[in-house]
Amino acid sequence: MFRIIKKSLKTGVVTGRYPQSAAPHESIDPAAAEKAKPFRRSLVIREVDTGSCNACEMEMNALMNPVYDAERFGIRIAASPRHADALVVTGPVTINMERALKDVYKQTPDPKLVIALGDCAINCGMFKGSYAVTGPVDRHVPVDVRIPGCPPRPADILKVLTELCGKHDRH
Amino acid sequence: MAGPESHAAMLKAEFPSLVQIEGGGGGFSRFLVQKESLPAVAQYLHHHQKWQSRLALLWAVDDRPMREGASLHYLFALDNVRQWVVLSIELEGDDRLFPSITPHIHAAQWYEREIRDMFGLIPVGHPDLRRLVRHEHWPKGTHPLQKGFPWNEVLGRQQGNYRFLHIEGEGVFEVPVGPIHAGIIEPGHFRFSVAGEPIMQLELRHFWKHRGVEKLFEQRTLTDAVPLAERISGDTTVGHSLAYCQAVETLIGLEVPRRGRFLRSLFLELERLHNHVGDVGAICNDTAYSLPHAHCGRLKEQVMQLNDRLTGSRFLRGVNRVGGVTVDLTPNQLTEIPKELDRLEQDFSELESIIAANSSLIDRLETTGVLTTRTARDHAVVGVVGRASGLDYDLRRDRPFAAYGELAVKVAMYHYGDVRARMRVRMDEIHESIRLVKQLCATMPTGPIAAEPRLNSRLPKTPKAGEWALSAVEGWRGEILYMVMAGENETIHRCKVRDPSFVNWPAIQWAVVGNIIPDFPLINKSFNLSYAGNDL
Repeated sequence: MFRIIKKSLKTGVVTGRYPQSAAPHESIDPAAAEKAKPFRRSLVIREVDTGSCNACEMEMNALMNPVYDAERFGIRIAASPRHADALVVTGPVTINMERALKDVYKQTPDPKLVIALGDCAINCGMFKGSYAVTGPVDRHVPVDVRIPGCPPRPADILKVLTELCGKHDRH
Repeated sequence: MAGPESHAAMLKAEFPSLVQIEGGGGGFSRFLVQKESLPAVAQYLHHHQKWQSRLALLWAVDDRPMREGASLHYLFALDNVRQWVVLSIELEGDDRLFPSITPHIHAAQWYEREIRDMFGLIPVGHPDLRRLVRHEHWPKGTHPLQKGFPWNEVLGRQQGNYRFLHIEGEGVFEVPVGPIHAGIIEPGHFRFSVAGEPIMQLELRHFWKHRGVEKLFEQRTLTDAVPLAERISGDTTVGHSLAYCQAVETLIGLEVPRRGRFLRSLFLELERLHNHVGDVGAICNDTAYSLPHAHCGRLKEQVMQLNDRLTGSRFLRGVNRVGGVTVDLTPNQLTEIPKELDRLEQDFSELESIIAANSSLIDRLETTGVLTTRTARDHAVVGVVGRASGLDYDLRRDRPFAAYGELAVKVAMYHYGDVRARMRVRMDEIHESIRLVKQLCATMPTGPIAAEPRLNSRLPKTPKAGEWALSAVEGWRGEILYMVMAGENETIHRCKVRDPSFVNWPAIQWAVVGNIIPDFPLINKSFNLSYAGNDL
């Protein structure tokens, strides 16, 4: 027990120890901002991977670590789409995942936001044109917010998400 | 000790009809086998006590337009003598049948089903001919890796259903999980058959994320496919791009300068470091012990920020290229890295003692998800999972690549095959990686970081169509294999990618038997396999 307390004291607070997002500031589409209004102070996300290389998943996971600690802005991850306010979709939509994505979209209660995370979700990236890729996310479900990058840095993701929550990532 | 001649001699003595052939780069001996005698030769090679051989890779090539027909190639790794043997069979014209070796060599099961799906070649005698990559809604007769198949025409849909394996009896029920399942994780389907709490059977259904990567490789040229290799499995960016680059370098006869090789090893170890640190935390988190998870998340972030400062990418994207690396480190950075890693090791060691002192955690990890040495060997399991189950095999020591020929790598080995063994392999490898990075920084040679692949926009040697090379890299998950075959004018005729996940996934079905479903996430995490690298 003493060892654990000592370790915690020695470590101190690490939240906010990351370089500020250098991504160009793009203000969120007013329609999306309007849609996000009910989720101010609390945004519950269900992450859906429709064929990404898993780098975007790693960065989403990083958001939950003590350094970025997205929970301090009221951003949480749900295990089921039925508990979610927003879907974060990564990767080009593969033929095998197309139906699953549409199902998840239907299962998510309204009002809901869809956030396309990463270049693949926005325009299929490297996998554009493949026989097994049916198109970017917005071909299958309406997309409200786009976060470009391959993969986007956690700070970039956090910047957009906090803006949706009506807060600013200041540390 | 048996040399390379002796296994060739033994094979030829046993099977006089074998023809040894030249060709193919990457250090192996190769034999052309008659289709009919393949199962006998493969069995002899695989079961012979002397070699401890395993089926490392099985791939098919549609040889058109060079030759009418397809060919299949079986790579056996003779671990005792550290040699590779490739057996090749050729199918003529419209011949679509080849003999299955799965009844005798279990490790071939997924490879042969994959070949059936992707090439339309049928493994005669395979006990399970259900579709693997092609889900039930893919139209009949679509085999994407056949040369006539258009790469950019999106597939249609048909009706169909997939037969899962059922266990029937009183009190037996099935629990379907996925493809979209808990947490921030990739899609995969798991079908558990349980009676009460313990799992009687688990069946995996993967390939949800099949993006047609191998076909996309064929649309690129030898030197510009590195970014695609980096995106096969994002967490193994360096491992995959390095394996790809090495295969192409063998093919075009390019020598990587010494500093380039050292930097490649350094980046590969940094990648191993951030992934292993994250995994140790995630294993603890799956037992609801979130303190180490928080600390490990912080340490992992520290390494990824270091990656970012060194190369401009948290995942070390874009550092490898054909001929060497693109990023050089300054002398200042080379002194900073060991200092930072010393602090990190101190930090991690303190955490290790906290983890080891928690008896309820250790109780949960021990004897959970045991993968026996026998099962691991039958599945030809590689990497962390194999080393935790007593398979003493690490490419950094056994087939040195990059700078590993000049480093003495201590291989972490455990025999119990449970979750704890897999965690301890990772912990040991974290310390070893830190030691290797420090040694690499201290002994970093001077000189160029890359050989110039293009002199007057020509490769040093343009490979003939049909020439191919193999390459192997010990990524953080395990052995990554690439086979790159050149086409006309520096194009890629075929690129076979094998992530360690592809061989380790089937083994998980055996490791969970007898465990309870709540332990499955823990076991799955201790394997931590890539869905993207498996599905391609």
